[in-house]
Amino acid sequence: MKGIKLLFAIAVLVMAFAPVGAQDVTTVTMWFSEGSTLDCWGPLMLEFNDIDPSLQLEIVPQADTWNVTRTAVAGGGGPDIVRTPGPSYAYELAEAGLIAPMDAFADEMGWGDFFFDWALDLGLVNGQLYSLADELETLLLYYNTDVFEANGWTPPDTMEELNALGEEVAAAGYVVFSHGNASWRGTNEWFVGEYMTQLAGPHNVYKALTGQLSWTDESMVQAVEQLDAHMQAGWYGGGIDLYFTNEGTTRRAMLADGTAAMNIEGSWAIRGLEEYHGESGQGWDWVPVPSHDGTDYFTIGMGNTSSINANSPHPEAAAKFLNWYFSPATQGKMLTSCRKGPAPVAISEDVMGDLDPRVARVYAELSDASANDRYGYTTWTFWSPSGFNYIIEEVERVWVGEISVMEYLEGLDTLMTAELEAGNLPPIPSR
Amino acid sequence: MAVYVQKKPTSIFEKVNDETWRRKFLRNVLIPWIFIAPLLIIHILVVAVPAVQGIYMSLTDWTGIGMNVNFIGLDNYHRLFFEDETFAKALGNNIAWMAFFLTVPFILALFCATQLAQVKRGGMIYRSILFIPYVLASVVTTTIWKNLLNPRQGIGAALDNLLGLEDVFGVAFLGRRESALMSIAFIDNWHFWGFLMILFLAAMQSIPPVLYDAAKIDGANRWDEFRHVTLPGIRPVMLFMYMMVAIWSFLAFDYIFLLTQGGPAGASEVIATQLYKNAFFRFQAGYGAAQGVVISIFAGFIILIFVTLRRRGWDI
Repeated sequence: MKGIKLLFAIAVLVMAFAPVGAQDVTTVTMWFSEGSTLDCWGPLMLEFNDIDPSLQLEIVPQADTWNVTRTAVAGGGGPDIVRTPGPSYAYELAEAGLIAPMDAFADEMGWGDFFFDWALDLGLVNGQLYSLADELETLLLYYNTDVFEANGWTPPDTMEELNALGEEVAAAGYVVFSHGNASWRGTNEWFVGEYMTQLAGPHNVYKALTGQLSWTDESMVQAVEQLDAHMQAGWYGGGIDLYFTNEGTTRRAMLADGTAAMNIEGSWAIRGLEEYHGESGQGWDWVPVPSHDGTDYFTIGMGNTSSINANSPHPEAAAKFLNWYFSPATQGKMLTSCRKGPAPVAISEDVMGDLDPRVARVYAELSDASANDRYGYTTWTFWSPSGFNYIIEEVERVWVGEISVMEYLEGLDTLMTAELEAGNLPPIPSR
Repeated sequence: MAVYVQKKPTSIFEKVNDETWRRKFLRNVLIPWIFIAPLLIIHILVVAVPAVQGIYMSLTDWTGIGMNVNFIGLDNYHRLFFEDETFAKALGNNIAWMAFFLTVPFILALFCATQLAQVKRGGMIYRSILFIPYVLASVVTTTIWKNLLNPRQGIGAALDNLLGLEDVFGVAFLGRRESALMSIAFIDNWHFWGFLMILFLAAMQSIPPVLYDAAKIDGANRWDEFRHVTLPGIRPVMLFMYMMVAIWSFLAFDYIFLLTQGGPAGASEVIATQLYKNAFFRFQAGYGAAQGVVISIFAGFIILIFVTLRRRGWDI
């Protein structure tokens, strides 16, 4: 009986003190789309909880994170860490005063030491830092090495070489580019931005984005005409109507089983390539997307951004998590474990040495291009939402012959001029 | 002889002091309102207030994020009717959609309900089978049909393989401008018409059998019975469903968005998909709200037609 009383007394004491302990813990909340990405990223991000027991991260899975987040944040709620699909979305939230400026944290924690200079500039709104860009992406020309070896082909360097190779690939009965937009119509914009960068040149795209060059400039017209020519030749997915009905899984399978020879897609595709080619047993590799003169240009894109909710009760704690999450060590670990596109931070060469050389080469080349003025612009990162949605929707009208390339670009020019005047474009790092 | 005449209360004070009036007021006015009040309050909060807000937002340049709102008058409506070519195209697609759904499912449902009404044994099995697609979620239905219509792996491709043909049946129905909208309508109808058939069947079963007996005595054949007994008997249900389907046609969204997102090249774009893209993709929620108001006006117009017909004595 005495023993039971003693146990009861201990239990009462534990219960009495437990809430005091719980009150000392600060929980930083983050909403994240459920699925395979979270399955891999989640456990790694939760390693943050081992550093300091009084500072904990809670990840709340959501079915449609962005739409849920912006509704909640607009209503004064939402998570402490606000993730958006890209800088242009963060820009809108900052303009509406829904996310907090982070300059003081950046100075205090030395974010400028490990972020690339241009990367922090992407998060500036009216001169203040509101978001940190994550998931560095670029578009690459992937190819099936077995198909290339069997036919004696070599990957192209220039658009002229690509045109010649495409003719051969099509004549040999292969689909030139495994593609389709049935799962994601945004696929359209990858090519428009990429052809503009590779054929008109990143400097011209920069000028157009900053209002120094019309979108109807001859160089832009030629770029979109080249894309249209490839579409009309049925190079994408095997024909325009097939392009409109091919799913993302079909896209992967076509390249992996040798139905298609090449694929222009982002660096995010690597995880899927490893999986599909692992199953088919056929090889893959990549080269930069061919440009007009053979220069290796790499378009830069950001998969998402992170900010601190303006209504967060503990912004310092949120900043501490961001400091840990964006550190080169954490980013390197997520790259090696999950093939996560790293944030634009300087990852150590040791981490890169452990990677598949094809993956390591992506980030080494991208870093080199970024340092040597050979970087370009992805539409979803540097255009306004209205701008890239115009690109996605209206380019299909060019491909089906409803409007001409010039009409398409005139519409883009009118829209982007208005967006620029209204201050709706995300920050474009100067070059 | 003195005659006592009860004076009816006239002023409000007299009424309140009158016991009979008080009881009547309580029974006929106050208690019904008390019962309906919770529903009314909820309706005002979740329907009326957002509706008024929606109308106001349609007169602003609201992005959909935050509360930076500028009043811009009728600019959104001007853009909608005089500048946005895609709106007219989307409206045309809505009208084509309505034309399809006011004919194909009605003919199918009427035909099958007429046949099933005569089945005495095993009728429930048929009804259940035909009704199953209606209870499937749109995501499930669209996934099934996306696979069936896949030009590389669907039934068309399988038929081509079987017959040794090349790209004859393996057509990208959802990838062609000419066929995309009607292919989606076909898929939506596959899910919808069973519901209509069950409604018609229920209405047919409420028709007194003596009317059919009388028709037979008068020498009516099956077609005459259908024309002069069945159709008038189910007319109220039919006309009500005509009204509902016409309204739903302007709200069409899920099947289109799940199958083509309005593509290719806007060939299957309708007002609701445009509205969604404007509000949530382009940050033009004010403009999207204007499109929402226009949809409501179209729906109101359809209701007005039916109300007018009812007032003129139509049995709706």
